[in-house]
Amino acid sequence: MGYSCITCVLASALVLAACGTVDKRIDPDSPDPVGGAVLRSQDISSMADQMSRDIIAAGILRSSDPQRRISFHITSLRNDSGDVIDKEIVLTRIRTSLQRNLGRQQVRVLDRSKESAEEVMSERAAKRSGAVDSNPAMRGQVGGSDYVLKGTIKDRRIQSGSMRSVYYLVTFELTDLETQELVWTNEYEAKFLSEKSVISR
Amino acid sequence: MMLRFAVLLTLNACSGGVPPVPMDHFQNGDLPFVRQFFDEQLREGDQQSAALFLNGLAQIEMLEGNLEKARHNFRQAGQVMGNWAISSGEAFSAIVGSESSKTWRGDPHEKAMNAYYTGLLYWMFGEHDNARAAFKSGILADAESDEGDAQVDFALLYWLAGRMSIRMGLLSEAEDYFAEALQAREFAISHGARVGWSDSILANPRQGSLICLVDIGIGPIKEVGGPQGHMAVVTPRPSDVESAEFFIDGASVGRSQLLVDLNYQATTRGGESMEGIRKGKAILKTATGVGAAILLSEGLDGHSSDRGEKTAIGLGLLAFSLFMRAEADVRTWETLPDSVHALVADVPPGEHELTVVFRGRYGDELPGLSQTWSVEVPIEGEGVYFFRSLPGLVRTEEVVQ
Repeated sequence: MGYSCITCVLASALVLAACGTVDKRIDPDSPDPVGGAVLRSQDISSMADQMSRDIIAAGILRSSDPQRRISFHITSLRNDSGDVIDKEIVLTRIRTSLQRNLGRQQVRVLDRSKESAEEVMSERAAKRSGAVDSNPAMRGQVGGSDYVLKGTIKDRRIQSGSMRSVYYLVTFELTDLETQELVWTNEYEAKFLSEKSVISR
Repeated sequence: MMLRFAVLLTLNACSGGVPPVPMDHFQNGDLPFVRQFFDEQLREGDQQSAALFLNGLAQIEMLEGNLEKARHNFRQAGQVMGNWAISSGEAFSAIVGSESSKTWRGDPHEKAMNAYYTGLLYWMFGEHDNARAAFKSGILADAESDEGDAQVDFALLYWLAGRMSIRMGLLSEAEDYFAEALQAREFAISHGARVGWSDSILANPRQGSLICLVDIGIGPIKEVGGPQGHMAVVTPRPSDVESAEFFIDGASVGRSQLLVDLNYQATTRGGESMEGIRKGKAILKTATGVGAAILLSEGLDGHSSDRGEKTAIGLGLLAFSLFMRAEADVRTWETLPDSVHALVADVPPGEHELTVVFRGRYGDELPGLSQTWSVEVPIEGEGVYFFRSLPGLVRTEEVVQ
C-alpha cells in the first residue's frame, strides 16, 4: 500500500512537472538552448564585437588631423542567405560598438536611414521657415561621409535525408567614398549541423 | 509496473488538444471571430501547437490589412517550423504516448506556405533580400520530404525567388530559379497536380508591372483513419472557385493561373517515418490488449499456483494497452487555400481601379466574392497585391515601389 501511495504521488508530481513552463534569464553570449541552425544572438554579438574591434585596430577611422573627425555611415547588410534575418539588429550592434569604442571625439557616425533623412529635411525646413524656433549654434550642413560600411550574409546549405548543415559567411567592407578603395574587409563564419528527429519526419 | 503506468499517464496527460477552427465563420468572411479564436488559443490553448495558431492568426491579420503584425507572426511561426531541435523527452513522449504531444511544425507543404506568406510580406515592405530568403527557405522546406521523388514541385516559390533575385540585381540566379520553376511545374503535373489553363507566367517569368497573388478555396484537412486511428488521411475540401478574373479600370486583363495545387502538395509527401512508428504502436496496442485478455482470463479462471502472477501481468498489459496512443497527429493548418493562383499584367504606372471576380468551373461569376480595389503601379518595379476568395473582405492596399 505504501509503495502504491508513493508511486501515485510521484505520478502526480510527474504530471504537474511535465506540463509546467520555465522562464529564466540567460546570457545573450551563451549557446542558445532552443537550438536551430540559424544565426543566433551569440553570433550577432560575437560578429559585432569582432568587426568593430578589427575596424578600430586597423586605424582607418582615426583621423590624423585633430581638428577633423572621420565620418562614416553604415548602409546595408544584404541578405543572400536562405534565412530571413533582421539586418538592423546586426548593423545597430556594430554601430553602437564603434561609436562607444571610438567616441564622438574620434568619429562622426552618420545616420543615413531613409527615416532619419526625412525627419532631418522636414525639421530643417520648419526651422528655416520660422515655423519652429531653432538654435543658431546648432545650424550647419548635413554631414558628408568619408567611408561607408556595408556587408553581405551568404550561406551554403547541404541537406541529405535527415541531416542538414548550414554554413554562414558574413562579410563586411569599408569603402572610401572619395576613391572607392576598399580600405578594410573582414568576415565572420559559423556552421551548424542538424539531424532531424524521427518524430519530425 | 506502477512506475511505467505513471510515466504513461504523464505522457498522456500532456498530450496536445486542438479544437477545430471555426471554418464556417472563416468561409463567411467573419475574420474578427476567427482572429478571436486564434488569440484565445495562443493565450490558453495547447502551447505545443502555438506555431499552428500563429499561422492562422497571421493569415487573418494579412487579410485584414495588418501586414506588420502578420509578418511578425508568420516569422515567429516559421522559426518554430524550421527548427529541427527536439528534446529527447519530446521525442519519447511522441513515440510512446500521443503523437500530437509533439510541437507542431507542420508538413513540408505547410512550411512552404508559411515561407510563401512571409516572403510575400517582406516583398510588400520592399525588403527583397529577406523576401528571397523566405522563398528559398520554403523551397528547402519543400525538399524535406522523406519521399525522394517529390522534392522540387513548388513552382510558385521558385518563380518568386527568381523575381526577387532580379530586384537584387542577381540576374544569373534569377534565370536559374525561373528554369527550376518550369521543371517544378512539369514535375508536379506529371505526378498528378492539377493543370492550370495556361503556363504563360512561368514561360515569361519577368513580365508584369502588376502582380496579383490569389488564394483560392479551402485547403485539405487531415483526419484519423485505420482501425486504431493510426493513419493520417488527407482529405481535400470542395471549392466552387476555379479561378479569378481581373479587371483594370473596367477592362479585363485576364484570368489567374494556378501555380500551386495544395491538395496535391498535401497528399504526396511527408510523415512516412512517423507513420511507421504509429503502425508499430497500433500493432503493439492490439497485441498487448489481446495478451492482457488472455492472461486475465487465465489468471481469474485458472486453478494453477501462478494465477496471481498472470493476473498482475495481465493488468499491467491492459494498462499499457489502454494508455498507449497510436492515433495520428492530425493537426492541420486549416485556413490554407486549396491552390495559389497568380495574375501578372503590364499596367501603366499610376493609380488604377482593380476588380477581381471569382469564377466557377463553367466560368460563371460566383456571387458575393467580387472585390474592388484601388491599386497603384510604381514607375519602377512592380505593384504586388494579395487576394483571397472569401466574401466581405475589407483590406488595406499596399503599394510596393
